[in-house]
Amino acid sequence: MGEKFISERNLRFLLYEVFDAVSLTRYPYYADHSREMFDMVLETAMRIGKDMLYPTLGEMDKNPPELAGDHVKVHPVVRTFMRECGEGGWISAIAPMERGGQQLPSIVNFVPNGIFAAANYSASVYLLLTSEASHLIESFGSDELKETFIPRMFSGEWQGTMALTEPQAGSSLADIATVAEPTDEGYYRMRGQKIFISGSDHDGVDNVVNLMLARIKGAPAGVRGISLFVVPKKRVGENGELVFNDINVTGLYHKLGYRGCPINQLSMGEADDCRGYLVGEPHKGLAYMFQMMNAARLAIGLGAAAIASAAYYASLEYSQVRLQGRRMTEKDPATPQIPIIEHADVKRMLLFQRSVVEGSLSLIAQCYQYSDLAIVSEGDEKERYSLLLDLLTPVAKSYPSEMSILSVSQGLQILGGYGYCDEFPLEQYYRDTRIHPIHEGTTGIHGTTLLGRNVTMKDGRALQLFLEEVQKTIGAAEALDELKPSAQKLRDALEKLQGVTAHLLDIAKEGNREVFLADATLYLELFGIITIAWQWLLQAVPVQKALRNTDGLSETDVAFYHGKMYTFRYFFGYELPKADGLIRRLMETDGLTVEMKAAYFSD
Amino acid sequence: MNIVACVKQVPDTEALIKVKADGSGIEEGGIKWVMNPYDEYGVEEALKLKEKNGGEVTIVSMGPARAMETIRTALAMGAEKGIHITIDKADEYNTAAALAAAIKGINPDIIFCGQRAIDDDSGQVGSILAELLGLPVVTLVTKLEIADGKAKAVKPIEGAQLLIESQMPCVITAQKGLNEPRYASLPGIMKAKKKPVDVKDAAALGITVQPKAKIVKMTPPPERAPGKIIGGDDPAAKAAELAKLLREEAKVI
Repeated sequence: MGEKFISERNLRFLLYEVFDAVSLTRYPYYADHSREMFDMVLETAMRIGKDMLYPTLGEMDKNPPELAGDHVKVHPVVRTFMRECGEGGWISAIAPMERGGQQLPSIVNFVPNGIFAAANYSASVYLLLTSEASHLIESFGSDELKETFIPRMFSGEWQGTMALTEPQAGSSLADIATVAEPTDEGYYRMRGQKIFISGSDHDGVDNVVNLMLARIKGAPAGVRGISLFVVPKKRVGENGELVFNDINVTGLYHKLGYRGCPINQLSMGEADDCRGYLVGEPHKGLAYMFQMMNAARLAIGLGAAAIASAAYYASLEYSQVRLQGRRMTEKDPATPQIPIIEHADVKRMLLFQRSVVEGSLSLIAQCYQYSDLAIVSEGDEKERYSLLLDLLTPVAKSYPSEMSILSVSQGLQILGGYGYCDEFPLEQYYRDTRIHPIHEGTTGIHGTTLLGRNVTMKDGRALQLFLEEVQKTIGAAEALDELKPSAQKLRDALEKLQGVTAHLLDIAKEGNREVFLADATLYLELFGIITIAWQWLLQAVPVQKALRNTDGLSETDVAFYHGKMYTFRYFFGYELPKADGLIRRLMETDGLTVEMKAAYFSD
Repeated sequence: MNIVACVKQVPDTEALIKVKADGSGIEEGGIKWVMNPYDEYGVEEALKLKEKNGGEVTIVSMGPARAMETIRTALAMGAEKGIHITIDKADEYNTAAALAAAIKGINPDIIFCGQRAIDDDSGQVGSILAELLGLPVVTLVTKLEIADGKAKAVKPIEGAQLLIESQMPCVITAQKGLNEPRYASLPGIMKAKKKPVDVKDAAALGITVQPKAKIVKMTPPPERAPGKIIGGDDPAAKAAELAKLLREEAKVI
């Protein structure tokens, strides 16, 4: 088996042919970078993925973390990988140079993160959490917090986490109850419970730095009373020594998949000696945490697409060597059997996977591009990119998360009975990817965010900007004869999306907020399909241009572009029409689920 | 210490190799190029020596323009500078002669080569280079120690290991097991593009390439014959049949 888990060619295609990442180097902030470097980043990440992460994919699943006395024991590769991420500068990749980072554009950092997640999702999470948590301290923490924690996190010695969820406060963060009591010493005394905290205790690092939401004693109820704290597992003592900070691991959850990374239950302050350090100002914690949550949401979308990518390549390879059946037209049973990839239905399943994987990767790259452009631009332009990023974040998180499950399922289907058994990695991918619609905001939460907040924010300007972006792509596609019919299809779909949005907002205006948001998840699904169709049309433009003159192209490149065109056509032919059913349902808006009484679920 | 590591850019081991229709070489379109894996051991050992003893590492590579990528990779791993010899391809002798011409002025204390390149697989360049420079060579080294101005190298042979002590300067050809090559780091990658690489053609080196050997023809290996399944229910008879086929058809026993 070749053990391919992601396409380098496709990553290069997105970076250079669709999003022109090199053009970012024109801005002073990114001027120290070049294409040559981006290539080396890709190649190095591929090596780490292939040599270090992929070989332990199955092992980490079969030997999940366990509670060993007072700490959690994880696979030894976690320590090796975190050290490499520290020494290699992968944790600090996008941080500014003045803070010891590499100032890498996010759209380039997307490459190693995607590669690591495709090679071994569980392992990749240790890196992501640490990178994002350190970024949060850097953005809002005091100099003292920065100096104490960031260098050890950048070096991979200390793990970062985001500690939000509590037994009574999951999706409902407003109900967080962990208490922070002020002291005269400048720190707060923490008391409470957290659950489902990824990476919050393990022996792959020397310390864990929890970025924790809690309420300062006496703070107002609801989200306006939530503050952000740094609560390390071990605090730094007076002489620089590490002192136990009274956080106990009270449980370790046994998960369906994504088993290489522990999610723990934490108890703070059992001996009344758990110290927390306030980040930024009191009561603004949730707003700060949203920075990390939004970054994490894109990373989750990327993780979901990456697992689907690994499943796609595993099933592709199997379909090329597995001999079963003959062509429909072959009547002679004595002829040899053919590889199953020759069957149209298997090709359909492969095209579906590829359309989900490459469509999702493209959308996530697009979001990272907006994020980079927001950093280097000013005024109106900066706001434009920030709004686009904000609007699309729930889509870039949810479409890949939901579709990855279906995509991996089709990969598993291609392997038939073998797909259901653990000799092949498909069953693991299927379990691993199931987490994505759950963590970092469930799909339901994101539906409500998109419809209930994002499409109307700044008087609907974010949505307007999005429509303009899609129109721009439609315009570019219409200039190419081969893409005209698809451009028209997207234009129609976009108009219908506007119609549905206006219809739903009318219901909101009538004051029926519950009915307005009842099918927000379906609205998000519809928005997702149309957004991914946009990304496919965006990819089809350079593909079509390249195919116009194939003289200088290698055979593999020509095959790559033809494959892209078919996958693009597949999406417009098979996936985009699914929007129609959703539109029909959303226009009905009869409040069925609102009216249905809990009591009627008596059977 | 003044250290040289020679590297060659070769097709990725996972690349699908196709022989050109006229048998003169391989189709290069669409191939991914990487640093020869045995050269990586050499680069790693060079970097470790430098980190221990101080000094600098110079990377020398011969090849077309794309070979620069491989030099940059070695610089991203931590080498100080490079020399790119812009001769696309040559036989082993001429390759060694070009490397020798480039290295001569550096006066290195030690030179590393991979024990062979995984594309042509001839394993000669390191030894010829040593000969041309008038230096001793220890090939296929899996362990190296530098002490008292001498190189102590371990080299596995059939059923045993040789410990060879060599005077310095010398040429060491690296074998798998010598070390675990490091990955390039992001800061290393950022620094790599600012590190100096001298680009020299044959004329600048004062050499002319006069082939002493040439590839007459390249042919792909024969396709593997289909396997054979021995039928029947009696294990003893099947075993006897297997033994017979191994002796008479496969001729392996």
